[in-house]
Amino acid sequence: MLTRPVAALATIVTLAVGLLLWSLLVGQAPLLGLDLQGGVEVVLEPVDTPENLALATTENLDLAVEILRARVDAIGVAEPDITTQTGDKNFIIVQLPGIENQDDAVALVGQTAELQFRPVLFDLVGGGDIPEGFAFPDSILNGGPGLDDLLAGFVSDPNNTPSDQSAIFLTIAEDDGPPGLPLLLGPTEFTGSALEGAEAQFNSGGGWLVEVTFKSGPEGLDLFNESAAKCFPPSDSCPFQRLAFVLDGVVESSPRINAAEFTDRRVVITRDQGFSEDDARNSALVLEFGSLPLAFSDPADPEAGLVRTVSASLGRDSLDAGLIAGLVGLALVALYMIWYYRLLGLIAMLSLALSASMLWVVVSYLSVSRGLALTLAGVVGLIVSIGVSLDSNVIFFEDLKETMRRGRSLSSAVEGAFPGAFSTVFWANMATLIGALILWLLTVGSVKGFALMLAIASVLDLIATYFFMAPLVRLLAGRFGDKPGLFGVRSLSPGTSMSGVSPASDSEVDA
Amino acid sequence: MSALGRLLRNENRIDFPRLWRPATIVSAVLIVIAVASLLVQGLNLGIEFEGGASWEVRSSLVDADDLRDALEPLGLGDARVQQVANELWRVRAETDSAAGLETVKIALADAAGIDQADVTANAVGASWGSEVTAKARNALIVFFIVLFIYITVRLEWKMAVGALAAVAHDILLTVGIYSVFQLEVTSATVIAFLTILGYSLYDTLVVFDKIRENELRAVGASGLTYTTVTSYSLNQVLMRSVNTTITSVMPVLAVLVVGRFILGAVTLQEFAIALLVGLMVGTYSSLFIATPLVARLKEREDGNVERQLAAGKPSTTADIDIAEQLATADRARSVRSTARGEGHRVTGVSGGRATAANASGVVVTKRKVNRSPGDASTKSTSTKRGADRAPSGEIKPRPRKKKR
Repeated sequence: MLTRPVAALATIVTLAVGLLLWSLLVGQAPLLGLDLQGGVEVVLEPVDTPENLALATTENLDLAVEILRARVDAIGVAEPDITTQTGDKNFIIVQLPGIENQDDAVALVGQTAELQFRPVLFDLVGGGDIPEGFAFPDSILNGGPGLDDLLAGFVSDPNNTPSDQSAIFLTIAEDDGPPGLPLLLGPTEFTGSALEGAEAQFNSGGGWLVEVTFKSGPEGLDLFNESAAKCFPPSDSCPFQRLAFVLDGVVESSPRINAAEFTDRRVVITRDQGFSEDDARNSALVLEFGSLPLAFSDPADPEAGLVRTVSASLGRDSLDAGLIAGLVGLALVALYMIWYYRLLGLIAMLSLALSASMLWVVVSYLSVSRGLALTLAGVVGLIVSIGVSLDSNVIFFEDLKETMRRGRSLSSAVEGAFPGAFSTVFWANMATLIGALILWLLTVGSVKGFALMLAIASVLDLIATYFFMAPLVRLLAGRFGDKPGLFGVRSLSPGTSMSGVSPASDSEVDA
Repeated sequence: MSALGRLLRNENRIDFPRLWRPATIVSAVLIVIAVASLLVQGLNLGIEFEGGASWEVRSSLVDADDLRDALEPLGLGDARVQQVANELWRVRAETDSAAGLETVKIALADAAGIDQADVTANAVGASWGSEVTAKARNALIVFFIVLFIYITVRLEWKMAVGALAAVAHDILLTVGIYSVFQLEVTSATVIAFLTILGYSLYDTLVVFDKIRENELRAVGASGLTYTTVTSYSLNQVLMRSVNTTITSVMPVLAVLVVGRFILGAVTLQEFAIALLVGLMVGTYSSLFIATPLVARLKEREDGNVERQLAAGKPSTTADIDIAEQLATADRARSVRSTARGEGHRVTGVSGGRATAANASGVVVTKRKVNRSPGDASTKSTSTKRGADRAPSGEIKPRPRKKKR
């Protein structure tokens, strides 16, 4: 037990109040879930071409839902609602809680995230020798206005997507800074399905990059080596020795291939002008979690109107009912605790208030930083976890009373009972934390969110017990040591009733 | 003195072993019913798991409550009604049949004052896909294995068996209630089941900690069998179990009563029932499922068989003074260890200052006071200030550094 209760109390209370004030001042508040507050809805409709619609089977839609869930999970702990809708038209609806700051999430959901590897046929700005035997359109060969027209045509037509396997087409390398360089690219050599994983890294040179790892064997690295062999030495199909990495129609980088064969499965994608950290992470995420099995029209396109805000799915009365019920429940708990444990009960309720305020701060913080959203079930779950967390107080108080009943003075009983009681609470909470960690690591969706809340509640319980409840009990035990009645202990005079030693008349069995 | 009065003063001396057999029978019967129901009629899974239907209504004349009211008579009071755009409403609910689909369509069209043909219907896939369930199931398997190891390391494998059996018991019973009464299982209910799993385990560990503590104290008391020590421990923790159950159940009851019956929020009911049952069963199983199982396993140990023989006929807890025997054992051990100079640490009485030499991993913390003052351990190891009260004490393993 802490030696200086006043210092401990002052520290923990200052800390808790300070954090609460900070949280309120910067305007953080818990985000409410889809059921309570509504959010943003993204409708993903398959691109309207016959081949693509044929891909929109139930199985493929389910697979797409799985990929989408992984993407949303990877950026936070929001509980999205992702469902397939089948009928005249098949589509996917993704709903995300909260309305503000959803642009990133919407963009991530909407990304088709196909990575392609294509040889560079011509660098329009960099120039260079035109490979022999390769027939460029006249407009390019002659330069002049024809070139610009051609470029304009490619750039403005969003349907000129990279999914085309045969045509030579052009795409723009786009960076955060000035507009990127136009490149003329050859047909797709292979796609992101050759990848095993991807990771954003900060390189020692000072920039962000994405490192991708190829699968081994014919499905992965061999494909890359086939392309490398075409580019080194340069051939007609890869005249500039460069292989472009195209992510969703944007050339991320077009590195020069300097060997005909690679043995390391890891390859780095950089941008000519550097990735921003966000870009690197997002690119890695979408690569890691794969491309969707069919093409969806881009929801970010404002004309399509497929991103919209949606209202709460439960009535306002459900939240009110939950909150009123929770408050009534807590009031009953407070009455009971104070009736049974007197001053100790009051201390327990103060300890509860302290952990509740810390919980508010943590939940608010996670709402802002990780998109954590409280559903109705979550709100009630928190109220219940508060009731359960009183257990650490109850364990201590019961040990304390038992010790006192044997005639020890109040303050000595406090010293004697706390280590054992805290050890019990500590190890039991450890089990809870281990369980929560396993669920957090191995599950997805709302189970993951639950694991997080469970862990937070356990840790806060331990903190409030050790740094607040125990020092306060100790302090008050020193102050009111002569009034055991305040602590709910009725008989104190030594020898009156010691547990286990009862008068003969009192030996019947309660059963 | 009334039984309740004794309970409030923690002077209860309930003979738990006598209750174990009937409790086991009751639990076994309930579990058979639960499992049979799960096998025969299964669970009534909600729209998140099975999918359902979605209707879109375009009308400026309705609001969410109107639509919800229209669905209430069809037994779809928990339908999700969302405004997805200006004047466009989407309703999601479970329907069992094509006929039900049409009925809902008519009801919605009537409420919205539009033509039936303008209500579009779609099938909705499960938002809680099979992949989520599969991952949760695998996680639970790992959960059980890791916690078995944890409890084995922290306490012992017999207690791990007891704790996990109790957890399984609680989950089966709670899920069983949803099957027997065909209550709808939603994603919130599943989270409630997981809450119960965590709570049940936690509660059992708290009880086991007390049993372990007394078991170590009873090492020298040959007259006490493991079962009597266990029963004594359960009496010690009973008030804690009762109070914790009361404080955790009160908010849930409030949610059920206020939320469901007064304010009429159907959604709350779906998981409050799971929590209510689970919290109570979780406490019960610690005392009546986990503990007997451990006692049964432990009584087969050689040492414990000898003690049973030494104790003679199995006696009820009421007949022997366990507290006194434990205290005697504590004193005896304390004297022995002092004599051997094992460096056991004894904390002083008043003021609670630690006085003795450094620990060897075992700490004797004085807690209980014994009537006969001035025995050997007081003189040899405790503070001078506490001489008027003799330490009896308690042995607890304290692997961590002592903070004082």
